[in-house]
Amino acid sequence: MKNLVLLLLATAFLAIGSEAQKYFTKNCKINFDATSASSPERIEGVNKTVTCVVDSKTGNIQFSALMKGFEFERALMEEHFNENYVESDKFPKAEFKGAVANNEKVNYAKDGTYTVTVKGKLTMHGETKEVETEGKITIQGGKISALADFNVLLSDYKISIPGLVADKVSKTAKISVACSLEPLKG
Amino acid sequence: MKRRKIVMLILGVVLAVGVAVTLYIIKEYNRIHKDTADLKPDYSVSAANMLQEFQTEEQSSNKKYWDKVVQVDGVVKDVSKDEKGFYSVIMGESSSMSSVRCSMDSVHNKEAEGIQKGSPATIRGICAGFNADELLGSDIILVRCVVIPQK
Repeated sequence: MKNLVLLLLATAFLAIGSEAQKYFTKNCKINFDATSASSPERIEGVNKTVTCVVDSKTGNIQFSALMKGFEFERALMEEHFNENYVESDKFPKAEFKGAVANNEKVNYAKDGTYTVTVKGKLTMHGETKEVETEGKITIQGGKISALADFNVLLSDYKISIPGLVADKVSKTAKISVACSLEPLKG
Repeated sequence: MKRRKIVMLILGVVLAVGVAVTLYIIKEYNRIHKDTADLKPDYSVSAANMLQEFQTEEQSSNKKYWDKVVQVDGVVKDVSKDEKGFYSVIMGESSSMSSVRCSMDSVHNKEAEGIQKGSPATIRGICAGFNADELLGSDIILVRCVVIPQK
């Protein structure tokens, strides 16, 4: 009988331990930097309204960003970004669906910092491409902080840079992600 | 003599046009966004109604509101602050997962400090679209928001 109770308790604990815990945020920050080396000014936009979900059990990560949410200091730059480059009226959202490659190495239940590899598919301007990047996941007080920097070749996403601004706008954009995620309840 | 005068006149006009165009280009290049507080709203709507519109007719609502100045009034569900101290005012019914999320304009950020959860508020911002999400609740996103003081 005692063994049965112990077995039941053990199973119960195992069940709780392996329950999928999702973490999310709706104000993840993504920086889009397409400043070329020879540019006299920064070509940089920031989106502070990106949604991110992380599933700690599977390591699945998803991002969703409205292109119109990228804010540039100069209005003309923002208009060009939206109207000419990413055509946000036709392709309003950019999405990333992927996973942490070495998720089992991350102990989400304990405070700590981990360097991880994230692989997945990035969809932007109607084009989907495989992306792989290193990132940093920090667990603290039950919350997750996620950071990543990676480059995207704009032509991969059929984003064309007119020759006129080719010396300012880089062919490669640096994407910087910074999120603070909380457990999703229920 | 007369011919010379005409040439001078033409040169003068060309120069004047050249200067005007150059000044215009410089002005356009350096143009910053108009302060949302100075912009007249294209639409004034309640958070509940705006959400209802997007939930029933996403495509036509997007056409209607996208990139427009929208003034939304409703009850504040939450005020959230990111790591850099930027506020987002979240409006909608607490029973619904969906909200109108208003990301404060950096210049007007402090206006969100006094806003209480559960109190009514009026926010004006630029509609960036609708982020449909079954898991987290679909939200309407407004950017460069300012708080319109309650009368």
